[in-house]
Amino acid sequence: MRPFTLNYAFPRGAAQAVTPYHFDPARQLNMLPDGRPAVSDPDLLLAAGTTTSTAGSATHFDD
Amino acid sequence: MTVLILTSEEDVTADMVVNELHATGTPVLRLDPADLPGKAVLSADYAHGDFDGHLSVNGHVLSMGGLRSIWVRRPGEPAAHAPEPSPWLTAETRQALYGMLHSAAARWMNHPRNADQARLKPWQLRLGHLSGFAVPPTVFTTAPRLARAFVEQHKEVVVKSASGPPPGEPPLALPTTLIGPDADFSAVAAGPALLQRYVPKQADIRLTCVGTRLFAARKTAEPDQIDGRYGDTGHPWEPVPVPDRIGKSVHEYVTLAGLAYAAFDFAEDEDGIWWFLECNQGGQFGFVELETGQPIAAAVADWLALQRRPDRRGPEGRH
Repeated sequence: MRPFTLNYAFPRGAAQAVTPYHFDPARQLNMLPDGRPAVSDPDLLLAAGTTTSTAGSATHFDD
Repeated sequence: MTVLILTSEEDVTADMVVNELHATGTPVLRLDPADLPGKAVLSADYAHGDFDGHLSVNGHVLSMGGLRSIWVRRPGEPAAHAPEPSPWLTAETRQALYGMLHSAAARWMNHPRNADQARLKPWQLRLGHLSGFAVPPTVFTTAPRLARAFVEQHKEVVVKSASGPPPGEPPLALPTTLIGPDADFSAVAAGPALLQRYVPKQADIRLTCVGTRLFAARKTAEPDQIDGRYGDTGHPWEPVPVPDRIGKSVHEYVTLAGLAYAAFDFAEDEDGIWWFLECNQGGQFGFVELETGQPIAAAVADWLALQRRPDRRGPEGRH
């Protein structure tokens, strides 16, 4: 029997988009293609959705 | 003295703190336990009554003697990126890494022992009561009869998961959902159900606690919105002051739980009362800071950079 709570689950939709930054091991920061740290562009981070309270839910439930 | 951040490379919320640490010249090592062994290297010596250890990754090296603090942010499973990962290799690597870190005299945000307990939703509700929060009536049960009786008593009831959506593909969403009295409760016997009296809310509140510093943000809810994490209301997160009574309860809660960091979720009802929903010991703050401008990353960096030895008599990580 399917647990009661799972009756309220639904597919989360399309796979996540590729993030527009990459990790720089030397600086220990994610960098944009133009060489700026990703954190210097708050609008881009908000649009990427990687700082939201559901962004890490696949691996960390306590967001 | 170096700050150690345990998180994945793609974690840009951690970037916000690394950036602050760089700005103040505080040495930092960022490590994903998933990269150990392999990209990261560990060595710990226990000999002649003494202890020392080293971690290195991407050309950065950390000595346990120079370890200032540890931020457990979004660490991967140890050895998850190994060429031949296995549950045994993960267990061995966890022993080596966390055994070494616990041997060092460092401050934790948050201490793993306290974090493990703080993740338990039923305990959160109990602690919420003890701390003086308003907590909606809640039941965890595997008894269909009791679930049905709870709904009959409270009329409007939501169901939520204690541990998040089940892992696997395709990825699932499991938002807090309003259930009706006509629901078939027989499936409650197949798994514990968390049922809670619905709080008709006019706003969601996210309160982030960093040490003794509090940052509260408010987002107006739509009349029919149940779970603030899902659905775009068009309303932004805005900074709001922390009521004195709430601030006192938050400090009581984190003291009892031994947490240096916590993100609280409240539902603000039509009378302005903040109802405690949960406390996420590793909760996200990036979206709050980006929308409100509240300096949460700087507060985390300040806490991690603080020069203070842990109190060896009590649970580490308390403050």
